[in-house]
Amino acid sequence: MRTAIQTTAAILAVALAGAAASAQPAAPAATERSQVPAGSGLRFVSSFTPVKAGAWTGKRRRDGQPDVEGHWSNLIANHSNWTDPQAGPPGEPSKQAGLPREQRAPSRVVDPADGQVPYTPAARALQKDFEAHFSNPDLPRYIEPLARCAPAGVPKSFIWHGYEIRQYPGYVVLLFNSGTRIIKLDQSPHLPPQIKLWNADSRGHWEGNTLVVSTTNSNGKALFGRTGDFASENAAIEERFIFDPDGKRYDYRATFTDPGVYTRPWTALIPARRYTEADEPDGWHYEVIAANRPGQPLLNEQPERICVENNGPFGGGAVGVPLDGPIIDR
Amino acid sequence: MPNNKTRIRADFTARGRKAVLALSSAITLLLAAPHPALAQQQDIPRLPNGHPDFSGIWQTLSEADYDLEPHSGRRDAPPSAGVVAGGNLPYRAEALSQRQANFANRAKDDPRLKCWTLGVPRSVYYPAPFQIFERERDITLVHQFGHQVRTINTNGTGHPKDIDEPYWLGDSRGHWEGDTLVVDVTEFNDETWLDRAGNYHSEDLHVVEKWSFVDRDTIRYSATIDDPKVYAKPWNLSVLLNRRRDDNFQLIEDYCFTLPYDNYYPHKEGK
Repeated sequence: MRTAIQTTAAILAVALAGAAASAQPAAPAATERSQVPAGSGLRFVSSFTPVKAGAWTGKRRRDGQPDVEGHWSNLIANHSNWTDPQAGPPGEPSKQAGLPREQRAPSRVVDPADGQVPYTPAARALQKDFEAHFSNPDLPRYIEPLARCAPAGVPKSFIWHGYEIRQYPGYVVLLFNSGTRIIKLDQSPHLPPQIKLWNADSRGHWEGNTLVVSTTNSNGKALFGRTGDFASENAAIEERFIFDPDGKRYDYRATFTDPGVYTRPWTALIPARRYTEADEPDGWHYEVIAANRPGQPLLNEQPERICVENNGPFGGGAVGVPLDGPIIDR
Repeated sequence: MPNNKTRIRADFTARGRKAVLALSSAITLLLAAPHPALAQQQDIPRLPNGHPDFSGIWQTLSEADYDLEPHSGRRDAPPSAGVVAGGNLPYRAEALSQRQANFANRAKDDPRLKCWTLGVPRSVYYPAPFQIFERERDITLVHQFGHQVRTINTNGTGHPKDIDEPYWLGDSRGHWEGDTLVVDVTEFNDETWLDRAGNYHSEDLHVVEKWSFVDRDTIRYSATIDDPKVYAKPWNLSVLLNRRRDDNFQLIEDYCFTLPYDNYYPHKEGK
């Protein structure tokens, strides 16, 4: 990602490409695209078949882990709206927002069944307050932190740009557009609870086709999306990455337990698919460039991903965060 | 925004310098025979393909980040004999004034103070841990400080022919010479410094790194710095990297560029 302006342009380009594609009568080759309602954008589907937890029958790595390395991205929408993923961000309804609800992708909340985050009344009020101010942020706290290139954190990193999974003995590493997660596959203790992190602290293990991750130490600052959905720094999150042994799909399921914010634990589902050299780089799901190796088959690689705003606060200019000068004294 | 700048390269000059640099590296290799890195070390970690495995968490004990050149102790730097072969950096006369200005303003202008990406080679000897993840095809460096992730490709691919804009950490292509990893790094922007003392570079920076085990818990890291706009000739630095072996040691993310605004989240009433 380069600048926020370019990011916006990329989103527009994706939307426009989708609109252009829907204006054409055919091109039903991609099964996913054939399910897309008119105007829903490039490569975002409105329905999908969940991946079942079970045995891993696919390729294994030398250390025994299921081999799931590669580029992945979510299927249904970006982080504009947490519970109505294809309805658009607050104040900017998408074209599909006017359609009957069942014609858009389902809520990412799969438990409870009503698709809503079971906030306490006080927490719901905070979320609604953010949502109401999102399109006209007149206080710093109404600026979506990702607009400043803060790490997207848990779980929003999975509904932002595409990302890469790299595996090593004892580790699964997630390289996101904004931030990096190192999941340790061992029994070592979590960091002390005083330490709070944008990307939290993760310990994982494999159960068949499922990477089960205990995630604590989140700072709660990375909101789930532009709708302001959130967890606090006290949340305990159990993440399950359920990989289809065919290597093409996986589902991310995360259960959030946080009694100060929710009336009961609840579970999110984010479906994702793999991207390979068979896919066209699109600046969103699949942000890659062709490796320089003349005479050999196409090999895509990830270019450097450093948010320009990491190197000079972008969102800060709007609402009084210093643009210049030292941030640390160490 | 810095990245909107048009990149102007003196391509002919840069390529010429690269050729000279490659030649001088080759001569160095020949003269130094028997090159210690070419002798197979027995007691070091290796990948299944036999190459040294640098996986682990590393950090320098050196004072390199304070000032690469020899210096007495001062308010903001402990004393050090420096890490540069020959002592001082061979600045071009016209570049020295910029370095002096940087030094004078270092308490304000050092990119590190804003938690900006530190670049290469500074990210390696900045005194914070970084973790190496190694596969046969590439080596990933995740730095604790800021948002810095670098992939060193070791799959035989070349530098990209065309990138949108130069990189903060450069484009890294590595190959093995015996047990030494040699990495060619190009495609830099000019936003980073080389240390806290204001030593700097231009977009023409070209770095050749060498990584090799001294023993299983120590890496010798050296870098040849070439930048014809700033330096009259290529120069070398060398530091040791030590494995962090503290109990249960792990990286703790330090995205400190978020500090000016992170107190606004999550939703806080009254702010």
